[in-house]
Amino acid sequence: MAKEEPWKPAKTDKSERLFQLTCVLLYSERGLTKRELFHSVDSYRTDLQTSNEDDFALNKKFERDKSDLRDMGIQVSNPDPKSDPDDMRYTIAADTFTWPEDIEFNAQQLQLLNLAAQVWAQASLSSDANRGLVRLRGLGIEPAATDLIGFAPRLRTHEPSFLPLSQAIEERIEVSFDYRKPNGETAKRHIQPWLLRNIDGQWLLVSWDKDQKAVRNFLLKRVVSKVVFRTEFVNEKESEIIHFAAPDQAIVADAIRDLEEHSARQVATLRVKKDSQAWFHFHLEDQAGDTADVSMSYMDIHLLAEELSEYAMDIKVLGPSELDKVIRARFEAVANAHA
Amino acid sequence: MPKIKGFNGEDRYNFLLALVGYLGHRDEVALTEVADHFNLEAEYVVKALKSLNDATAQVAGFEQWPFYVDVDLLEDGIVSLTTAEVIDDVPRLSTRQAAAISAGLSYLAGIPEFAANADVNFLIEKIAAGSSRGLAEVISIAPGSVEAGADLLRLAILQGKAVSCEYINRKGEKSVREIEPLRIDLTAGVWYLRGYCPINHGVRNFLIEHMRAIQILDRDLSTEATQVGEIEDATYVADVTDTAVTVEVTPEAYRLITEFQTVSEPKDIGSGTIRTEIMVGHLPNIGRLIAKYGGAARVIAPAEARDFVRKYALAALGEAESSDSREIE
Repeated sequence: MAKEEPWKPAKTDKSERLFQLTCVLLYSERGLTKRELFHSVDSYRTDLQTSNEDDFALNKKFERDKSDLRDMGIQVSNPDPKSDPDDMRYTIAADTFTWPEDIEFNAQQLQLLNLAAQVWAQASLSSDANRGLVRLRGLGIEPAATDLIGFAPRLRTHEPSFLPLSQAIEERIEVSFDYRKPNGETAKRHIQPWLLRNIDGQWLLVSWDKDQKAVRNFLLKRVVSKVVFRTEFVNEKESEIIHFAAPDQAIVADAIRDLEEHSARQVATLRVKKDSQAWFHFHLEDQAGDTADVSMSYMDIHLLAEELSEYAMDIKVLGPSELDKVIRARFEAVANAHA
Repeated sequence: MPKIKGFNGEDRYNFLLALVGYLGHRDEVALTEVADHFNLEAEYVVKALKSLNDATAQVAGFEQWPFYVDVDLLEDGIVSLTTAEVIDDVPRLSTRQAAAISAGLSYLAGIPEFAANADVNFLIEKIAAGSSRGLAEVISIAPGSVEAGADLLRLAILQGKAVSCEYINRKGEKSVREIEPLRIDLTAGVWYLRGYCPINHGVRNFLIEHMRAIQILDRDLSTEATQVGEIEDATYVADVTDTAVTVEVTPEAYRLITEFQTVSEPKDIGSGTIRTEIMVGHLPNIGRLIAKYGGAARVIAPAEARDFVRKYALAALGEAESSDSREIE
């Protein structure tokens, strides 16, 4: 190259700092202490010129970098967890860069993976999925000429509770949040979160309710506070995050089946006006007469009421009578809110 | 697809690792091929290669240069990683990466289009195996239902043909339409067709459940339709003639603001209530859009929009005549 500029550590470039930290750790066989790392990574060393190893900001930066690496699957560990924090030696687990032997995808499969990664409309999950895709591409498979064009399935997460709950499930952390029932009652719930389940676009938390001592399902859109990771005091001064034991997968599967059976048992019947939007919605094209009756099962009467309110002018509820009441109460609330 | 615009520090770090692994398996490869492979601009790849060459590591007091990309070859557009000391492959997927892709795959598996695709389940297993700590199930997706007509529309898209159908719009008006289909969107259990409408000269959004008697026509897409670039994901795309409506939503109605393109930054005004502005094309539609949330969404201004909502709710209760009242006797 024509002119060679000397490289300076770009203090702002996080990617190069993380990359250098990774390389330094990989070079070392017996691991490096925090102090050694501070002197081996340019960005930390630059910080040391105006501070020292005990500097709060520097230590915080190191902790954050370490957690970023772990979040991205670079397994930073210390072989001897019992040692003094200053003597702890950090390494990167040997299998971090070793893929299973048979991990090979054909071009068609890579396309499916592409489509699966694009499913996430929400920024943070979309970036996790896309980073994963960049790694899979790094394995070297060429995507095929596409025949999956013209199709864009999307999963949306409107609820701010989605990310903290998925992290809590992944790390098995007990949480608490305020939950507002459709009747307006709000209560603090103490939960061991098991699984986030998407049912027809609604996100549901399948969990163990600590207060009720029973399996409970929560609709994420009814979570009305921040999700708090629960902590307990381990001595007078310090507290720790409360973890719980992994749920038996058979119990989680039972919980999902119970909910499905519950939904199947609840049936609503409607009378639909011919050739209305509701008529199209329920695919009643061939039915004779000016009206037709349809039945459907439902998971939650308030969710059904919300769905049906789009067709309020085209339908009459034949049963259950509670559904009619709920729909009316919702419209009354709307009228009052806009009086 | 990764877009450079949205690439942050973590994304770039992730790319550097993948790039080393990718190049490690090859001798010499054209720069354009690398860029195409990762769907990035060549310039971005060159900068990343420079970062590899610039990377140093202090090892026991000595400076090491873990990577070397041949700079002379690079001038000729050839990438060759001749030294790679510590990294010889791409890192395995992180738990979150695996979970996000895997949930995306289960979503596909629940769509009739892919239900019979053996690759989907094969991939879910492989992704779990390729993750660094195995895969604990965090997210699961209940299978969705088929939308009649979606198959036929997909076929028309693949063949590049226009379709005709009977369509009922949101006002309840029926018409026979010709649409040039471009993409099928599935969001929250609702299927939409994004298609070029020759009458409106633009891309429009059609509810597939509102279509019937769909027929594939023996007519190719118009030039206008084939020149439509990337289609926005937002279901409601704002137009210059739209009216700005100020709304307040509680968590139960957050969906309203993610489905619209908001024009002002959503503002938390306390106890989880968010205030923002949305653009509404046909103002009378606001009644149906807001009433659905049963009081969890509230129009603040303009007064005309509040009026539409109140009248819609009253009409639904049978207490007033709405402009488009179509009650069953």
